[in-house]
Amino acid sequence: MTLGAGILAMLRGAALVVLVVITLFPIYWMLVSAFTPTGFSRQITGFLPPEITLRNFTLLITERPMLRWLWNSVLVASLASFLSMMVGMFCGYALSRLKFRGSYLILVIVLASQMIPSTSILVPMYALFRDLGLLDTIQGVVLGHISLVLPLAIWMSKGFFDSIPPDLEGAARIDGCSRLSALWHVAIPLAAPGMVAIFVYGFVTSWHDYVFPKHFVTTQDLWTAAAGITSFRGEYFTLFEPQLAAALIFALPVVILFFVLQRRIVSGSLAGGVK
Amino acid sequence: MLQEVTGDQRPTTRLGRWRDALTDGPAFPLLMIVPPLLVLGLVIGVPLFKAVLLSFDRVILTRPQLAGQFTFYNYAKLLSDPSVWAAVWRTGLYMLGTVVGSIALGLSAALLTRRIVRWRGLARTIFILPWSMPALVAALVWGVMYDANFGVLNRILALLPFEIGRVEWLLNPNTVLPALIVAQVWNEFPVAYIFFLAGLQAIPEELYEAARVDGANGYQQFWHITLPQIRYVMAVIVVLLAIFGLRAFPIIHLLTQGRTETLTVKTFNAAFRQFDFSYASSIGILAVAVSLVLVLIYLRLTLRQDGSAI
Repeated sequence: MTLGAGILAMLRGAALVVLVVITLFPIYWMLVSAFTPTGFSRQITGFLPPEITLRNFTLLITERPMLRWLWNSVLVASLASFLSMMVGMFCGYALSRLKFRGSYLILVIVLASQMIPSTSILVPMYALFRDLGLLDTIQGVVLGHISLVLPLAIWMSKGFFDSIPPDLEGAARIDGCSRLSALWHVAIPLAAPGMVAIFVYGFVTSWHDYVFPKHFVTTQDLWTAAAGITSFRGEYFTLFEPQLAAALIFALPVVILFFVLQRRIVSGSLAGGVK
Repeated sequence: MLQEVTGDQRPTTRLGRWRDALTDGPAFPLLMIVPPLLVLGLVIGVPLFKAVLLSFDRVILTRPQLAGQFTFYNYAKLLSDPSVWAAVWRTGLYMLGTVVGSIALGLSAALLTRRIVRWRGLARTIFILPWSMPALVAALVWGVMYDANFGVLNRILALLPFEIGRVEWLLNPNTVLPALIVAQVWNEFPVAYIFFLAGLQAIPEELYEAARVDGANGYQQFWHITLPQIRYVMAVIVVLLAIFGLRAFPIIHLLTQGRTETLTVKTFNAAFRQFDFSYASSIGILAVAVSLVLVLIYLRLTLRQDGSAI
């Protein structure tokens, strides 16, 4: 019995180790490739880089407009996410607090628009933007990204308002606030941590997408980092090492943000106000 | 007190009454709902409507003389195009593979870490890590690992006792779909992990204690307690992952340069390779129709009729 239990525990431990290795190995390999001298990842025979170099990272700045792309990403992601949050907040509030006919239908529409394949939006949007002269502009990319972010912002803010007791707004209304100022001065400040989470989610969604910027924008200086990273095919072959160095820089801020805000995103909505 | 004062100050001008109705009265829901829906309509409704228009037209950038008609040509072509049905089949396999794979990995990870006490936070961090990686980065990393000539995967497999040989993972038609599924599963299994971990923690420990008293072994406990208790979470995660699989684009597009045509990739190729925006729109609408079915199933599972999530 105890021997069997011991073997079982060892098997579980071994399975856990295998899972952890499978999970971490691609990330490890990204680090190895990013720090291997350009062109040398083909010659790796073991599981370590032959020598460690930072040249792939400096190459990004000297040979490619990586800083410019990162800045464009910040711009596009901030705009798309902030606008979606501001607009989505009101809809989320209405869906959470107000009883009106058709609210279930609106919920269905919002969720459906979040779940439909983005290529089905990309194609007609490209045709529209071609007619409207919005191709090759940052504004076009922001609009495209709002289509990815807004449904999520509505959906999430509904959830956050659901988790805030309506009593405080009721109290404010008794004190003479209109419904709008009760929303503005009571509900939204209470939901502020949730709004941060929505902004972060929207920012990350926009930051990660390469499909809209890559295909709406042809001027390389207007690309976001995501679009830029996918274009590392050299004249003769793909420049893997600088590409993975770029991918590392690109993924790192989001990974860090993700873990700093992990708890907050999951459970942050009740912090502050009521407890 | 205050209420009486505001009551005396009711505005008498027409504009004032309107403002009051909007900010405090019966029209308040309109103020909240209409602007967001207008924006949503602008970024999603208008493109979808445009897609419907395009799908009944023949807008082909290389043959502009065909544009401006009303025709069922694209839908007739869609129904008789074997490459579309191959794409539907491939999408189904891709969805099946990613759902099964992600659930297997996510559930294993959740079962193995649910009771550990030391390093609990670390385990969670590790298993969530792939989800924080953008799909495009996952595609690049797996692309480097899959490379036939100097990819690390073939070198790892060479360590196995039996001979496999050098596999062109992404070029061999027999291995490309599984290879794509593996990359996608690596990227998204943390979603299943998070759901399952929450589901497992909601199971009352007394159930297991009672089962142990009755002499049930670990296997029996899993089949008769764990699985029935998480079947609701399981249903939700199956539909959610199926939607992810249907929507999947970056990993397939970047790893095979669009050679592996699922519905999303086929939509994209028709528009940006063949420049046939009308045909692309009709395929896109087919994809939307499939996703709507999945969304309705998802809603049936997660939403009560009054609109509150369970």
